[in-house]
Amino acid sequence: MRGLILSRLAAFALTLIVASSILFVAVNVVPGSAARSALGIDATPQALARFEAQHGLDRPLVVQYAEWLGKTFTGDFGKSFQNGVDVGPELLRRLPVTLELAIFAFIIANLIALPLGAFAAMRHQRAADKGISLLASLLGAVPNFWLATLLVMVLTLHFRLLPPGGYTPFTVNPVMNLKQMIMPALSLGIVSSALLIRIMRTAMIEVLSSDYIRTARAKGAKEGIVVMRHAIRNAMTPYVNVAAVEFGFLFGSVVVIEDIFLLPGIGSFVLVGIINRDYPVLLASALTITLVVLIINLIVDIVVGRLDPRRVTRHQ
Amino acid sequence: MSEFRPHAQGAARPALAIRDLTVDFQRRSGALRTVDKVSLDVWPKEIVGVIGESGSGKTMTALSAMRLLPHGARIGGAIALGGRDLVDIGESEMRALRGDRIALIPQDAMQSLNPTMRVGRQVGEPYEFHRKQSYGAIWSKVVELLRAVKIADPETRARDYPHQFSGGMQQRAMIAMGLALDPELIIADEPTTALDVTVQARILKLLRDIRDERGSAILFITHELGIVAELCDWVYVMKDGKVVEDGPVKRIFEAPKADYTRMLLEATPSIHRRKGAKR
Amino acid sequence: MTTAARKPFNWRRWRLVVTGGTIVGTIMLLAILAPWVAPYSPFDLNVAQMLKGPSAAHLLGTDELGRDVLSRVIHAARLSMMVAVLASLVGLVFGTLIGTLAAYFGGIVDLVLMRLMEILFSFPAILLAIVLMASLGTSIFNAMIAIGIIFIPGFARLARATAESVLRQQYVEQARAIGMSHTRILVREILPNILAPLLVEAAVAFSYAVLLESALSFLGLGAQPPDPSWGNMLNTGRGFMGVAPWLSIVPGAAIFLTVLGFNMLGDGLRDAFDPQLRDE
Repeated sequence: MRGLILSRLAAFALTLIVASSILFVAVNVVPGSAARSALGIDATPQALARFEAQHGLDRPLVVQYAEWLGKTFTGDFGKSFQNGVDVGPELLRRLPVTLELAIFAFIIANLIALPLGAFAAMRHQRAADKGISLLASLLGAVPNFWLATLLVMVLTLHFRLLPPGGYTPFTVNPVMNLKQMIMPALSLGIVSSALLIRIMRTAMIEVLSSDYIRTARAKGAKEGIVVMRHAIRNAMTPYVNVAAVEFGFLFGSVVVIEDIFLLPGIGSFVLVGIINRDYPVLLASALTITLVVLIINLIVDIVVGRLDPRRVTRHQ
Repeated sequence: MSEFRPHAQGAARPALAIRDLTVDFQRRSGALRTVDKVSLDVWPKEIVGVIGESGSGKTMTALSAMRLLPHGARIGGAIALGGRDLVDIGESEMRALRGDRIALIPQDAMQSLNPTMRVGRQVGEPYEFHRKQSYGAIWSKVVELLRAVKIADPETRARDYPHQFSGGMQQRAMIAMGLALDPELIIADEPTTALDVTVQARILKLLRDIRDERGSAILFITHELGIVAELCDWVYVMKDGKVVEDGPVKRIFEAPKADYTRMLLEATPSIHRRKGAKR
Repeated sequence: MTTAARKPFNWRRWRLVVTGGTIVGTIMLLAILAPWVAPYSPFDLNVAQMLKGPSAAHLLGTDELGRDVLSRVIHAARLSMMVAVLASLVGLVFGTLIGTLAAYFGGIVDLVLMRLMEILFSFPAILLAIVLMASLGTSIFNAMIAIGIIFIPGFARLARATAESVLRQQYVEQARAIGMSHTRILVREILPNILAPLLVEAAVAFSYAVLLESALSFLGLGAQPPDPSWGNMLNTGRGFMGVAPWLSIVPGAAIFLTVLGFNMLGDGLRDAFDPQLRDE
């Protein structure tokens, strides 16, 4: 078990370093634009040069990268080009918003996918199965930002049930917080459930045709026990793997959804960074999202090991 | 067919009686008949072998008695467990019998144990499903059962997961599960195929002891003549979904009537030698 | 007299391909013929006809500048299809190259290339696209490049797996034995044999490209107004959700149908060519 965790941690560290350099190069590969964006179209060449020198943008890329990585490692994400505000504390303020959104959305996705996928498998090849499979294909083709727009149209403009956007911390007003979060979370969660329904269905079909399910029936187990106790646990191993990847995808998609619902999270911070060419902001927020995704994958790798007793004891 | 059948003497009725059983699978190209008018009896305390090659319908016949056929199978004919019809009763009535009055010991023990559940919990499930008992009472029954199937240190091993068991132990655990509630009939579907020869011999002895001590009748499905010779009282020979011949084991080996049985015997030289035939 | 028994057309096996193909074909055709089938120019302003609902003259209504929504949606299909095709092509070409080289040379080349692909793969796709847009600058051409780069790891993985199984075949051994050059073996022996699964994968990449492009344009990072794109139309439509809901419904429905069509086509092709599923 410890060997497993160590090897995963090593892979995680390597991935993080390479990923950070990819991000850095991607942002900085075209020189000169940051200064112009920060100072505006009318800036003199002297002013541009001064800006570049001031922020160290005139040095070789490798030097800039090393410095950035070193600082980032110590928790110093630099200052915004735009307003000179420290990026680090701002990130910390925004992270809970995005985490709440992503987790809420992920819960919705699973609440849809687990029962529907399992039920489709239990009705394999019958009408309910075909209907659920069709639903999954349809949901998988819906762009989440379109779904978000439609939800606002129906729930906000027509029925006047929910606010169109904005953010209130849960600690300040939990009811308002949930009212503002439900539509963003639904937009992400419903679309994500499409893939998860398919995965759950496939995993359950496989498990339900296995010999140990027949054993459970041969002992006189009721269908509910067959499914809940014997089948679902075994279907979870393949399911959790895919769900983790889907959570990463969902976490990446927050950019669009936060923009629509005016949520002050990391995703909208990415957008602020790119529109203003505010590289410290863009890099820090993109790296944070990547880091969260990688950490989730790491945790899941280890948790999946625990779900399957065969893998736990092999490492003992 | 009036050969002397010792177990039928003095018994009111067979533990299992199958009459004109048919099993059909719906295929797009039409119905596929895998079991064709099979009739067989298993009398109380009798070990009955069903022998045939793969595809002869022997496993389908056995699974019919549990009503655990794969999806899309259709049963015809009559099956009775201790005089009680099994074909037309509802699913919940059938469920009440499974694991209690009729049990299954499957072919591949490793695949037949749930990999994510401790062995003891799985062995205890028949109690849990059919007898209202406390968790502690069930657990002591489980330990007792594992000891009965000769698993060393049953208190500890009951907490193991299936992959921590050897192949022989996994099959013993399956047997423990099968005999948990002293069913009147145990269906054993090639339970020793996946095991090596020495383990196989011990498992067969265990089955014989169970019959002798607990009085369960056993329907033993196999493709190996050697096992039939060693274990069974009566044997049915199946081919292409039909019973070609049945009779007491000794007579079947010494004076087979059907050509197919003769062919089977000739293809298994060791038994011939043991029985003193030529070659 | 021919002896080959002609099997009847198996509708069950091909229904996804046919349905998806029909949707995709129709959209492709509309895209290609846009200037001729669109009833109006996508750019013609008509202040008198601002935000008019669907009518005989404007089947899908008009937008905030009085432009015909139907015509704009049809022209936007052009752009979406172009991005989808070219981005998939970028992913296909570079992914195949990387995957095949990794499989062919093995060892350290394989390790480094595929590790890098794994890492690229672990990025959330849309985030990577957005970051790439930062350095490339916001334009539809750059959106295409960014989406193409995102596709590389997926194609590389598939190419490597397929190429590995091809490499185990006898004829590759023979080609090596008679001293054929690396390039010749790669191009003549391996490439033709790994193309089929890659092309099926391309159908799925298409649908993803349509989604990503419209997301980027929705955020203002892709196609720039007044060029019509489903994404930027949807974004503009948000401002008029209450008075002109069709501005939000129509472009989103176009994205939905296109993605659905490509998904069905991709799934259908995969199933149809999967020998395990062939005779169910």
